[in-house]
Amino acid sequence: MPANEFGRKLKYAAGKYLPFLKIAPPVADRKLVMNLRPLHNSQLTWEKGANGDVVLVVPANKNVGPVTRAIAKWAQAPSERKVELDEVGTFVWELCDGTNTVESIVQQTGRHYHMNRREAEVSVTLFLEMLHDRHFIAFFKKTRKVG
Amino acid sequence: MTDQPLLPQSLPRPHKKQGLPVELPALPMTVIGWQGIRCVLPPEWNLTSFSMERENGYIRADAPGDTALTVQIRWQDASDTERKIGTLYDVFAPKVRKLFNRPAPEQKPPDLRRLLDKVLKDAAKSAKKAGAGFESSTRPEKLEGDDLERTAIPFSWLGGGRGQGKIWHCTKCNRVVVAQVIGIARDGGQVQSVAAGLFATLRDHSADTLDLWALYDLQVKVPVTFRLHQQQVMSGHLRLVFLRGGEMIVIDRWGLASMTLKKFKLEEWLAANVTVKLKSMEQAKVILQSGHEAKVFSGRLSLTDRLKVFRSARGLARPLAVRFEGGVWLCENENRIYTVQALTSRKTTDLWKLVADTVMCCQ
Repeated sequence: MPANEFGRKLKYAAGKYLPFLKIAPPVADRKLVMNLRPLHNSQLTWEKGANGDVVLVVPANKNVGPVTRAIAKWAQAPSERKVELDEVGTFVWELCDGTNTVESIVQQTGRHYHMNRREAEVSVTLFLEMLHDRHFIAFFKKTRKVG
Repeated sequence: MTDQPLLPQSLPRPHKKQGLPVELPALPMTVIGWQGIRCVLPPEWNLTSFSMERENGYIRADAPGDTALTVQIRWQDASDTERKIGTLYDVFAPKVRKLFNRPAPEQKPPDLRRLLDKVLKDAAKSAKKAGAGFESSTRPEKLEGDDLERTAIPFSWLGGGRGQGKIWHCTKCNRVVVAQVIGIARDGGQVQSVAAGLFATLRDHSADTLDLWALYDLQVKVPVTFRLHQQQVMSGHLRLVFLRGGEMIVIDRWGLASMTLKKFKLEEWLAANVTVKLKSMEQAKVILQSGHEAKVFSGRLSLTDRLKVFRSARGLARPLAVRFEGGVWLCENENRIYTVQALTSRKTTDLWKLVADTVMCCQ
């Protein structure tokens, strides 16, 4: 974890437990978040399992120090790990191709699985957040061309 | 994807860019029912905050999307508004009366003007904090309701935001209710239209012996004598637990039924989620009023199950629950599984059917 990211997390943790410090993470603009477009991490490969669910193949982190590398080699740590998504996860994953916004993924998921709008939004946004935290996807904002 | 607590949400909008009229299916109005209070709000509004108490409580519903429109309804028992705790008699007399089922002495109607002043003072305080001016207006008292049971005072205020509301006392249920629609100052028209719809449909007590409980598309009626004991509001699962002494009603609704049913049968799902063991219970199939076929299990509670129910019982745990009736059905149109369980005493009959028939799905 980069030092500045660690510092930021530490600061917000302090703000959480010492509320008088009045340090809180910035609140994301909902409209902005719903217009972001999730996109798969190009380092990942994925395949479909026997039941049609997506299995992500995540390569091991190569950006580690010599000691970790040596321990991994000694322990014969696998060079990749597999993450299997469920049916809804697969549906959402396939929509994360950079063409759909979060809003459109929420709508399509809600329609496909007969979910209440709120149910769909909560489930999908938290799932996308989890994928992002694990660096499986990234979000980008489509900007207009200038000139 | 796991169950998560529900958060505020937004209304899907038609695509403006295409320039063509986009025909969206007419969205159903939002029905909200909580602790005897019920109202109808515009489509996609949702309950965002509620209290568990029946005597004094509140609910809040928010508009979808980024609008700041919100509906707040507070209620309290009219006798609480005038109660002064001065002596030990004031503290214990209501409890003793309740214990021996004695009627309370006749009370004066609550002073609605004084209660309204309190509401407006709070709004003024918020406006002052926001650095805005404050003005309010109230209209004269009037009698409302089918039997003119309500004495109501409409009011509105402007300052920091905008609010339009009404305070009333209902002589039938002896509740004082304050309901208001709040929005930002420039939302005048919207506040007015939502308020008009709200006050036309808002009821503070049920016309029959069943209370409507409605949230997040779930609508079910439960006898007025049952009190809400527990609730669980998750994105894929809703649970309401009601108690009447030792008797219990548990209503569950699960989403994504198609996924669940790939791994479980309906009976297995019920067995895994009921409060008692179903092994020795009788099985039957019952057609509900909604047209769904429910698989129903019924029988006597085992001693361990009785003890389990007794532990969660309210007050003196009388009447004791000795029978179980629980059913499960699938609503394919909604892709949801519903279960209703009734743990009842010997004297109570047909409670399960009564409740299960009132569950509204496939609207």
